[in-house]
Formats: sequence, C-alpha cells, structure tokens
Amino acid sequence: MQSKLSDAELIAQTLTGNQAAYADLVKRHQRFVFTLALRYAKVREDAEEIAQDSFIKAYRSLASFQGQSKFSTWLYSVVYTTAMTFLRKKRIATDSIDDEHNFVQIENQVSAYDVNTAESKSRSFYLQQAIGQLLPDDAAIITLFYKGEQSLEEIAQAMGMETNTVKVKLFRARQRLKEKLERNLKHEAKELI
Amino acid sequence: MNNIEEKLWDYIDGRCTPEEQNAISALIDEDAGVRLQFEQMLSANTSFTAMELDEPSMAFTYNVMEAIRTENARVPLKAAINKRIIRGIGIFFTVTLLALLVLVITSVRWSAQGLSVNLTAGFKMPAINYSDAKIVVQAFVFFDVMLGLYLFDAYLRKKRAARSV
Repeated sequence: MQSKLSDAELIAQTLTGNQAAYADLVKRHQRFVFTLALRYAKVREDAEEIAQDSFIKAYRSLASFQGQSKFSTWLYSVVYTTAMTFLRKKRIATDSIDDEHNFVQIENQVSAYDVNTAESKSRSFYLQQAIGQLLPDDAAIITLFYKGEQSLEEIAQAMGMETNTVKVKLFRARQRLKEKLERNLKHEAKELI
Repeated sequence: MNNIEEKLWDYIDGRCTPEEQNAISALIDEDAGVRLQFEQMLSANTSFTAMELDEPSMAFTYNVMEAIRTENARVPLKAAINKRIIRGIGIFFTVTLLALLVLVITSVRWSAQGLSVNLTAGFKMPAINYSDAKIVVQAFVFFDVMLGLYLFDAYLRKKRAARSV
C-alpha cells in the first residue's frame, strides 16, 4: 500500500535517513519513470536499468532538490539525463535517433501484448504501438504531457529545452502519433479516431 | 505549424485567452470544415489521454532500495579503511622522524669546532647504545623500503585492474 504523505513530506523523511519513505516515493513514481525510460530504450531490460539508475541518482542528489519545482518534474529531468547517458554509452548514434525513417522499432515495446489475442487489438495496444514508432523525444513529450501531468514549461525544464520548442514538438508529435495510429489501424482507425 | 490547428490544440488544451476562446468557439460553430477537424482532434486527444503506463518488474522497488543500501554500506567502510591507513602511515613517519632526530641530536659532538656554548644547558640527553641504534636505523630504513615497495605494488595492481575494466 502506498503512503498518503505528499512527495515533499516523503522527501523530508528520506533526508532524515528514513529509507522506507524513499521506497514509497519509488513505488509512487516507478510506473511513470519506467514508461518514460521505455520511450528512449525501447527494450524493457534497458528501460528498467535506466529507471533504476534514475532513482539511485535522485536519491544521491535528493538533498540538492530545493522544492522550487514539482518533485516529478525534477525526477523526470534525472530520467532524461540518465537515458541520454545510457544511450550514449550504448553507442547508439545520435543521427539514428533523430532520423525517423531509420528508426527501428525493436523488441518489447509492446511485448506485454500478444498480437493474436483479442485483447491485443484494444485501443491501448494500437496506441502503444504507434507511440513506439515515434521518435524518442516525441514519445517522451507525449507521455509527459498526457500522463505526467506536466505543463509545457515543466516539460521544457525536464528536457532542458525552450518552452516554445516543446510546444512545436508536442504539436508535431500529436500529428505524427495520429497519422501512425491511423496507418496501424487502417480501417479500425476510423472507429477509434 | 498550421495556424488553425495550433489554435485548435491550444483551445483543447485550455491555453487560450477568453477572447481567443470565444473566437475559436465561433469559428467551430460557423465553419463545418473546422468543426470536423476539431472533432477529429478532440477524439485523438481522448485516445492519447487513455494511454496506459507500462509496469516495471515486480522486484523493481526492492532492487532500487537494495542498490541504495549496498551503496550506503560500501561508502562508509571504504572511508573508514582509508582514514586508518592514512593515520597509521602518518604516525609511523612521525615516530620515525622523531627517533631519527633524537638520534642525530645525541650523536652530534657539540664541542668539535671549539664551540664553548653549553647547548644542552643542563639537559641530559638519553644515553643511547650506538651499536643498537645502528640496527634500529637499519630496521627503520628496511621497513620504509618494504612499505614503499608494497604501496607501489598495490598502486600498479590497481592501475592494471582499472585499465582492464
């Protein structure tokens, strides 16, 4: 069962040495952090490593968190930096990330789903599949905006970008996601969208 | 960016001023094309909002906390060992230097060049058996050399290990 304390209260307790409080923070944010990591890594094992490293780094630097932004915004900036470092270490060329046409959707993005089951043909499946085909930055911005409860300003802060850049990227990401969803669904898309 | 689409997204996201909101509402009511576009965008927005988050493995929280506990346990131990080693080396060299200083002072022949000043001023230096002292000095030097070689060896091993990672 998750704690009812606020993030700020859990942080304060963690800083006094209460590790159980930090475990509560991890439980609270792990799904989102993992999803965000998966937007960059594409492989569940790698995403889990990024997410784990992010929480460890956040724990180490928790004392430097001054509470001027939401904890989630600060945490997502840690995830973003960790993911970038991880990808660099994995020697994934930057141009392959930026070039949408060369971008290859690999294993496990939709591994939790079986394409042959009726369940896999749900709205969620097609949406996940379409998100997996987006550029990592686009997928991350869409996720932060719709599921992270982050404003454009907060996304900009987390990703180290200008607010206007994020606005343009979000606009394009939505268009691309809509197109990919339509392409994946073909006839079904008309019912969905 | 397409201007009307941008405005419609701002309208859907609630980022418009009241004036802009009224203007877009009126445009949606009047223009069938814009209305269709708005409805499609609204539907897409609803789909995006329904996006599901992925679930990490069951042991995720445990793994994170275990990694933190391991890290916390490792750091103080490392620090403690380092402090002891540094203090030990410091004490050893201080004692060695003091011993050598005493030895040098006691072995100096103060009146050798006709110096008539009594530097000891009544202080009686400890009597040292010089044949024993020579062995002690040799032992100190031998120990220093061995310690130096040991530390140098440890340094080289560490360097090689770091290079092989």
